[in-house]
Amino acid sequence: MLGSHEGRQPIGRATVHVAIVVSLGFVLLAVAAGYWGVIAAADLVRSPSDAAVIAASRTVPRGLIRDRAGKILADNKLDPNGEMYRVYAGKAISQVIGYASSVYGRAGLERAYDAELTGLTDDPLTDALAKFGADRYDPKDLSLSLSNELQKAGVAALGKRRGAVVMLDPRNGDVLALASTPTYDASGIADPTTARDTFEAIQADPDLPLLPRATLGRYVPGSVFKIVTAIAALGSGAINATTTYEEQPGSEKRGLLVEGFRVRDGHHPSTGSTALDLIGATEVSCNIYYALAGLDTGGKDLVAYANRMGFGSPLPFDLPTAVSQVTNGDGPEPGGFTDDVELANASYGQAEAFVTPLQMALVAATVANDGELMRPRLVTAITGERDGTTAVAPGSMGRILSVADARDINAAMVRAVEGALGQQFTTGAKVPGVTTAGKSGTAELGGSGEPHSWFIGFAPAEDPTIAIAVLVEQSGRGGEVAAPIAGDLMTLYLQGLR
Amino acid sequence: MDGFTLVLWAARLLFLALIYLFLARVIRALLRDLRAATREPVDRHGRLIVLESPGGEPMVGRSFGLDVITPLGRDVNNAIVIDDAFASADHAVLTYRGQSWYVEDLGSTNGSYVNGLRVDGVAPFGFGDELQIGEVRMRLERANR
Amino acid sequence: MTVVATDGRTLDGLTGVLRRIRPRPRWLEFRLLALVAFAVVAGSFSLALTVDGRFGLYDVGATVLFLVALAVAHLAQVLAGRRTDQILLPAVAMLGGISLLLMQRLPQDLVHQTILGVPLGLAEVQLVWLLSGLAIATTLGIVVRSDLWLRRYKYTWAAVGVGLLLLTFLFGTELNGQRLTLQIGPIAGQPSELLKVILVVFLAGYLSENRSLLVQQDSWIGPLRMPPLPYLAPMVAMWAIALGIVVVQRDLGAALLFFGVFLAMLYVATGRISLVIIGLILFVLGSALMAVLFQHVRTRVDIWIDPFADPLGAGYQVVQALHAFARGGLLGVGLGAGLPEIGGVIPIPEVHTDFPLAALGEELGMVGVIAILGLYLVVIERGMRIGAAAADDFRSLLAIGLSLVIGVQAFIIAAGNLKVLPLTGVTLPFISYGGSSILVNSLVVGLLLALSDKGVEPPPAPRVGSRWRRLRRSGVA
Repeated sequence: MLGSHEGRQPIGRATVHVAIVVSLGFVLLAVAAGYWGVIAAADLVRSPSDAAVIAASRTVPRGLIRDRAGKILADNKLDPNGEMYRVYAGKAISQVIGYASSVYGRAGLERAYDAELTGLTDDPLTDALAKFGADRYDPKDLSLSLSNELQKAGVAALGKRRGAVVMLDPRNGDVLALASTPTYDASGIADPTTARDTFEAIQADPDLPLLPRATLGRYVPGSVFKIVTAIAALGSGAINATTTYEEQPGSEKRGLLVEGFRVRDGHHPSTGSTALDLIGATEVSCNIYYALAGLDTGGKDLVAYANRMGFGSPLPFDLPTAVSQVTNGDGPEPGGFTDDVELANASYGQAEAFVTPLQMALVAATVANDGELMRPRLVTAITGERDGTTAVAPGSMGRILSVADARDINAAMVRAVEGALGQQFTTGAKVPGVTTAGKSGTAELGGSGEPHSWFIGFAPAEDPTIAIAVLVEQSGRGGEVAAPIAGDLMTLYLQGLR
Repeated sequence: MDGFTLVLWAARLLFLALIYLFLARVIRALLRDLRAATREPVDRHGRLIVLESPGGEPMVGRSFGLDVITPLGRDVNNAIVIDDAFASADHAVLTYRGQSWYVEDLGSTNGSYVNGLRVDGVAPFGFGDELQIGEVRMRLERANR
Repeated sequence: MTVVATDGRTLDGLTGVLRRIRPRPRWLEFRLLALVAFAVVAGSFSLALTVDGRFGLYDVGATVLFLVALAVAHLAQVLAGRRTDQILLPAVAMLGGISLLLMQRLPQDLVHQTILGVPLGLAEVQLVWLLSGLAIATTLGIVVRSDLWLRRYKYTWAAVGVGLLLLTFLFGTELNGQRLTLQIGPIAGQPSELLKVILVVFLAGYLSENRSLLVQQDSWIGPLRMPPLPYLAPMVAMWAIALGIVVVQRDLGAALLFFGVFLAMLYVATGRISLVIIGLILFVLGSALMAVLFQHVRTRVDIWIDPFADPLGAGYQVVQALHAFARGGLLGVGLGAGLPEIGGVIPIPEVHTDFPLAALGEELGMVGVIAILGLYLVVIERGMRIGAAAADDFRSLLAIGLSLVIGVQAFIIAAGNLKVLPLTGVTLPFISYGGSSILVNSLVVGLLLALSDKGVEPPPAPRVGSRWRRLRRSGVA
């Protein structure tokens, strides 16, 4: 062999290697084509960033959205160029309905139900056939459980304050009002001629009008969270309605010593040195009692019961919701608490507990519906030309606690509104002539400014038809601000306003 | 579905089908080509058959297997010794390069001839070609046939 | 002393060529081209149905012209009687046919060009390029019989390539932040397209000459055995050129292509995976450096990682491309039925140059995309086979390198469309709109055709004689 041939590999083998690598590369491309064309396609073709969806949104009328009385909340209009745009029935519904804009995309129900409102079918075969036909679109109308009148009343009651009102029918989960303030002008965003100015002004507003506080706002709950603790404590059997804690009256003066840390509570002079039971403690909103009840229940059960009501994950709802939590969950103790101090504080709604107004309305609804929680339902029916009307049946999120336990908490919440002592904390929450149940909350924000004012409740207590949660941001004590709003709104509802 | 839509469908699918038919035919041809390639001998060097040898060395009919470099000449150190009056000591060398054979005349006195043409330096040497050195005629053939 | 005989036959020119013409049928090519013709007609028919709702061909003139050109190319090759590859041209013709249908279906005002005083739209200009490309490929496939003009002057070619790069840098016009186009008088082109062929020619020459030296491993870099360091110089030079292209031309795709082809050829020539690993390390280092130094590189990468982060802004094109694939689904919406216009504008602005695969993905579906990928694989396979069967190292490396130029380029842009790689602005060979791209890729096909001829001029014979004698004397052999 000559030097020049020494150690030479045949070109052929290396060529085969290169060919294999290149072929594998192309196989990868084929897989990618399959992924985008088939697997990811179902979501992509319905996404508002899809060109076909964008194109359709300008020419194909979107489905209408109606409230429970049949009033049209979202309608279509033609601009001079023959392109469609949306108009909405007032500002009160803006955070629920959202907007559909050719410039700024979608928000709210317009986003969540974009595929249905646009009218893209979700049946692949019909879809494939429709590609060849003239009309690919079958826009569907949405019927909501929402009452435009109640919604407007809620927004009016909140007035200029930032806050949220959630009203539910506890028997079937129907969302009657889902108000957030401040509201914004969704029609202005949807109208192409005013879109930019409107949207930029809204975005510049420090009060964040685009934030649907009822579903996406997370707040320290304060004392309204005691109902969650009560549900967990009774449900797990840690306490019963007559449980009392001997150390409770004394601790009110000295503070309750938990692992060397004092849980303090303002003294309730009217109750003297009596050890309170569940009803009494709820009536005067006794932090010490609930801290002790929470400690007895244990972090694990407290979190478990909360999670069964929807804490810990987004709610099964028509709109996106923020996740409510009892604790950050990164601690070593059961349930993820850092220590018993956190558990004790969380039990009366401080520490790391954060909730959405919708979540708290569900807590009220759980008690109101005798322990069974109905899935919150906003869209009650979807109507299309091709497929007719599809009703959305009420659904249950499960039985959270027994009827008897629910009745005990019900009674405690009635006392918090109707009781001689309770009235002082929930002024104005009572619906005249109707037994009303509720719980106020004052969420301390750690020194900075006024606390959040909370109220959750339901009426009539014997057979509740309405459950409510009211939150007013940084406005003072729960009994003074949120409670009267809730009382007024429940009164309007029970008088027949829909 | 109306008739027009059906035709539309059919035309669409026909287009795709024709592309795939094309691919299928191409792949069939490629496979045939590859199979033919694998049938080709792994050792492709070839052999040299002696057709005419007045001197008797090499013997007529003898077949030499060829190395990639096969020297020929009258010198006994050559792989193929050509005992012919007109052959030089280091007469020529056969080299296999790429996929072809070449004859290089090493400056012999009387020259080497491929198919009757005198080799000037190096000349390609295909299978079936005849090489003449002196009065010895030899033909190049594939190794296994 | 050596190559007079071989040379003489090539250089005696036209008469020599004509004298040896013996028509030879090419039935395989004929059958395959017939299938291409059927497919183009079926596609045109489907397009007319979808767009105009009528029975007939979408553009009779263009279709007939294309088919006639195919027939002429075939006949010319039959008459020339060379035993060249019969699969390559039909595969490329199929890609060209698909391109023609796509360009006919896109808005014609994407391109305005006046050729010989006639104002032409997108599809018409593309047809001109396709026919020119076909002519180039066929002519080269018939006429080129010797590779000496490439083999001998590799350094000259390399100099030409670097010169082109410099010219583009100095006089190139900037478009979309990329300095790619060079205008000389009335002729505008993208030199980086031609540069890739020149690169392959140079590398084939350099590597085939120095194969033996490159496989010697007498130096070490860390755990890797390396060839003598001076022979790594071209590798470093390639790396520098690739980086230079990114810096100067802002052309990520071309850099990726050059380096990819270079590494593949290096591996084929040496069979040493260690060289490839070093090359990849250099590449990764270079990429990281680019990403740190240049905003446009970083933007591309960010878009690649999550185009949906800004679906209406930076990620718009990529997102729309993915949506196009999604709308296409399995079988596609049909030629002419895709790309919904938003306010009279198609959603992907650069669809005819950068995103033709996305448009085809929508209209022909995943099935169509896989078929197109298959066609490219066929082209690559033919190139590799031609390389493997070539008579010597230079031709092997040349054929393999040329086919990789097409294959790797198709891969890069298809991967960019499918979000497998960051999007770079290289063209999809034979499908994207663009003269430089089609003409240069046709040149590549022409060279491959010429190289595939089993009866072509043998390569210049090795000059073993003198060395042989020397070795004999020293008693080695």
